[in-house]
Amino acid sequence: MGMTYIPSTLDEALHLRAEKKARPLAGGSDLMVQSKRGIGLAPEFPFDVMIITGLKELKGIRKLDDGSVEIGALSTPAEIADSDLVPWHVRQAASGMGAIALRNSATIGGNIGNASPKGDLPQPLILLDASVVLASIRGERQMLLDDFILGSKKTALGDDEIIKSIVIPDYDFTYLFYRKIGMRKANAISKLSLSVAAVVKDGEIIDFRAASGAAGPRVIRSRDAENLLKGHKTEEIPEIQESFLDSWNNAISPHAMPLYRRNTTRRMLSYFLSAIYSGKAEGIIEEED
Amino acid sequence: MLSEIVFHVNGKKIVYTGNPLTRLVDVLREDLGLTGVKEGCGEGECGACSVIKDGKLVTSCIIPVGAVNGSEIYTIEGIRDTEKGKCIIDAFAEGGAVQCGFCIPGMVMATYALLSSNPHPTEMEIRKGISGNICRCTGYDLIVESIKLASEKGGDLWA
Repeated sequence: MGMTYIPSTLDEALHLRAEKKARPLAGGSDLMVQSKRGIGLAPEFPFDVMIITGLKELKGIRKLDDGSVEIGALSTPAEIADSDLVPWHVRQAASGMGAIALRNSATIGGNIGNASPKGDLPQPLILLDASVVLASIRGERQMLLDDFILGSKKTALGDDEIIKSIVIPDYDFTYLFYRKIGMRKANAISKLSLSVAAVVKDGEIIDFRAASGAAGPRVIRSRDAENLLKGHKTEEIPEIQESFLDSWNNAISPHAMPLYRRNTTRRMLSYFLSAIYSGKAEGIIEEED
Repeated sequence: MLSEIVFHVNGKKIVYTGNPLTRLVDVLREDLGLTGVKEGCGEGECGACSVIKDGKLVTSCIIPVGAVNGSEIYTIEGIRDTEKGKCIIDAFAEGGAVQCGFCIPGMVMATYALLSSNPHPTEMEIRKGISGNICRCTGYDLIVESIKLASEKGGDLWA
């Protein structure tokens, strides 16, 4: 059983990370559950742990000079969902995580670091080309979240690094869509999720991107599929839609209920495309009940 | 580096020097005798162990005590004799919200958090407000009605 530390500053935490390889524990919503031993018993970990919940350096959501938004790793889903600074897709995902109490304790750093394919926040963050700021006693580095998450429960985090913050570039989309599918509305683990965003100007698709969550070991972004739509006129959508949908379907993992995930994703994407094609008012494409 | 964990529970200062990974629910129930805090699932899913930490609803079974240094924690024992607490408890009794009662301390804490931030919730907002609290007896309707009652009867209390 490992030791447990409670660092008071980020600097202390980085030294513990470097010297003891202590792993950070923040909200507890993943680690405390994964290692629970039952009533009256404290969880045990086979490695050293540091409880970083109190570190002020990892808190707060702020706008940077270039218009991007930096979210401290200890920000909770409730704080993210409530923040006007945070892009819509990410706020939607945050507001649908767990239930109220979980949204008050879980953290964005934990949701990313846990790297579950069913995690709610990586999906919209990867849609938005967000990057992750990693800190160690050697300094800081920043990398795309899409490169940081290597697979199910696997990340590129160095054994002396901790996740410090997440930076989301500034985008202005014409059309936006988000959907999480779970067994119930609260406390549901995603069965499938999808974010879509498009920039349409003078009838031309300038930008088009989508991200599928819980559809493979990593969040799916298929640039090849996205490129099939970019540069085309919206009036061409009926002709090019099938090749796009086929290409996106091929990006979805063939291993986990592919028929369900492909069909459902296909329906959501074609719903979004038909909304653009029919010249719907700009903004959020709502689902019809 | 912290060697002791200092926090407040129901207004009383606690200095904890044991294992920082001990779950908050165990400290509350076993060390402090606050057995109104119930443990259901132990995974943060059922809401029976809900307490208010720094004004926010949390499930005490997934929080290590090492994470509450400097926090103000309130349990059902800390609010039941306050005006707001009495308002909720009276409304739950009047509305017939309670059957076996195991989920009720958590429901009351969720109601307290809900009405403190939203004094006049719609039915949907009430249902969302208790969506992390599982009740296996009532089917929720009488709890929802009782929360409406607490909102109406409380009046300015929640403003």
